[in-house]
Amino acid sequence: MLKYSIRRLLGMIPMLILISIVVFSLAKLMPGDSLSGEIDPLNTNPEYIAEMREKLGYNDPLPIQYFNWITGFIQGDFGKSTRFKIPVFDLIMEKVPNTLLLGVTALIITYIMAFIMGMYSGRRPYTLGDNAIAGFNYVMLAIPSFVAAVFAIYIFAFQLNWFPFAGSVDILTEQGSFEYYVSRMHHVLLPAIVLGAMSTASYTQFLRNDIIENSRKDFVRTARAKGTPMKKIYNVHILRNSIIPLVTFLGFDFAALIGGAIITETIFTYPGIGQLFLESVTSRDYPTLMALTMLLSFLTLFGNLLADILYGVVDPRIRLD
Amino acid sequence: MASSTTITQQKKPERSLSPWQIARRKFVRNKLAMISSFFIVLVTLMSLSAPFIAPVLSPLPDISKVNISAMNIEPNGEHLLGTDKSGRDVLTRLFYGGRISLLVGFSATLIVITLGTVVGALAGFFGGFIDSILMRFTDFVLNFPFLVFVIVLNTILYGIVDGLWVLIMVIGALSWGGVARLVRSKVLAEKENEYILAALSIGCSPFKVITKHLLPNVISTIIVQGTLIFATMIVIESALSYLGFGVPQATPSWGNMLSSANEPDVLQGKPWIWMPPAIIITLTILSINFIGEGLKDALNPKSLR
Repeated sequence: MLKYSIRRLLGMIPMLILISIVVFSLAKLMPGDSLSGEIDPLNTNPEYIAEMREKLGYNDPLPIQYFNWITGFIQGDFGKSTRFKIPVFDLIMEKVPNTLLLGVTALIITYIMAFIMGMYSGRRPYTLGDNAIAGFNYVMLAIPSFVAAVFAIYIFAFQLNWFPFAGSVDILTEQGSFEYYVSRMHHVLLPAIVLGAMSTASYTQFLRNDIIENSRKDFVRTARAKGTPMKKIYNVHILRNSIIPLVTFLGFDFAALIGGAIITETIFTYPGIGQLFLESVTSRDYPTLMALTMLLSFLTLFGNLLADILYGVVDPRIRLD
Repeated sequence: MASSTTITQQKKPERSLSPWQIARRKFVRNKLAMISSFFIVLVTLMSLSAPFIAPVLSPLPDISKVNISAMNIEPNGEHLLGTDKSGRDVLTRLFYGGRISLLVGFSATLIVITLGTVVGALAGFFGGFIDSILMRFTDFVLNFPFLVFVIVLNTILYGIVDGLWVLIMVIGALSWGGVARLVRSKVLAEKENEYILAALSIGCSPFKVITKHLLPNVISTIIVQGTLIFATMIVIESALSYLGFGVPQATPSWGNMLSSANEPDVLQGKPWIWMPPAIIITLTILSINFIGEGLKDALNPKSLR
């Protein structure tokens, strides 16, 4: 297992190099460059600009520019944001906690909803409740996340006034105070519900089918013959077996959450990585754009790797080597 | 498959059904799929006939004109779904938007299916070196963070080529990985059959074996997958347009229309502007998914219904 994981991790390196070349070429193909972010904006003397251009390496051949960029990148120097005039690393670090909070909350919501619905459906298959849950899941799977988000804002934020419709925290609260954390949770809840509800459907159907399958197995019959209450059989014996395969979904969720975050964060104007990415595209903030694309690519690769490894961990029948 | 039907027809007086006929009967009996098909046909017809029915339905059939006198009108007898902030009739724009959204969805699906089938069939049939090269490439495409690259590519190509086709090509070129994998696995299983060996032994060229013998046996999977991809492509188009990175703003598409909901004022106070596109996107996606499920059931010889 360890051998396999290490081999897969090493296998990611050529992929990442390839992606970095693509990212670099794309950034170079985009109109304009990040020179204006590095120099004194008030000095418009063409000689000064030309001099700075030469000095900062914008006139170097492309392979050298790539090499300089990637060397800095590996060492944690992501360059300076042309828009905010601060190091990209700090800019990203500032937004990471928000996205992390959103992603984790969304995952927790997914798990809670999937467990409640999946356990109910699995225990009473082909009943009215099961069909209702299946129908609900089908609709949730079909509604595009941004349509769901727009409706959620309209209903829960504007009509019912339950949640704020934008931002990540109430600016009037003092940082670090109890109200501050309550306000953050309050702001993150609606986007997290929308993001989390998207993947609930697949979890629920998987859990349901697995519970139904397990309930026909011999160990359940044995438990029933011994007189174990049905509730205990379902909640302990069967559930333990059915939870395990769900773990593999986690890796795929990782990648799905990244894509979902870009859309959800933008709609809810939630200041996270996704929103920063879109802003960097619109404002042509190349250093930020390149760093974020690399970061998001890495996370997607990592998520896929995680899924494969977890698959082998929970199901010993699958041979990875 | 058609030839086998004619043979059985000659032998038996009572004609037995071809696989396609069986599939059609199963599909027609599926109520949900039939209602969905009806809805999709209706939406398509409405979109196609937009230039003809727009003048009948609305006093402002021109969607490219801004009418200052008719801004933000609530739905009434004259404007059935009201007008938007530039004084354009929402219902008319909905019809024209359908043209764009369906066109993008359909063309991108076509690209995805063609690329995926070609790559998958070649990799699966030839195996070995070709297979590993093509599958490495597929892995590469699949591992890209899709949305991130679509947005970046779209920004680069924007202005060089007409915006609509940039979008179609970019989302088409970045999403064929799944289809390629699926087709490859099906071809791998199918090529072990003896009829393939027979075809090869009588000297059929690889091209002929793939097109005449392998693909007809994989086509049902491709059709079902294509339906589901069509739905995904419509979602991607509208999501990108909603974010402002899709179809150019001046062209009405369902996603572009929905993007007016970005303004809190419109979202909160003028639901007639953004609700129709939101509802029609959702219904279209749902219907296509139901059709896909129905086709999957109908084309599966093991399902009894």
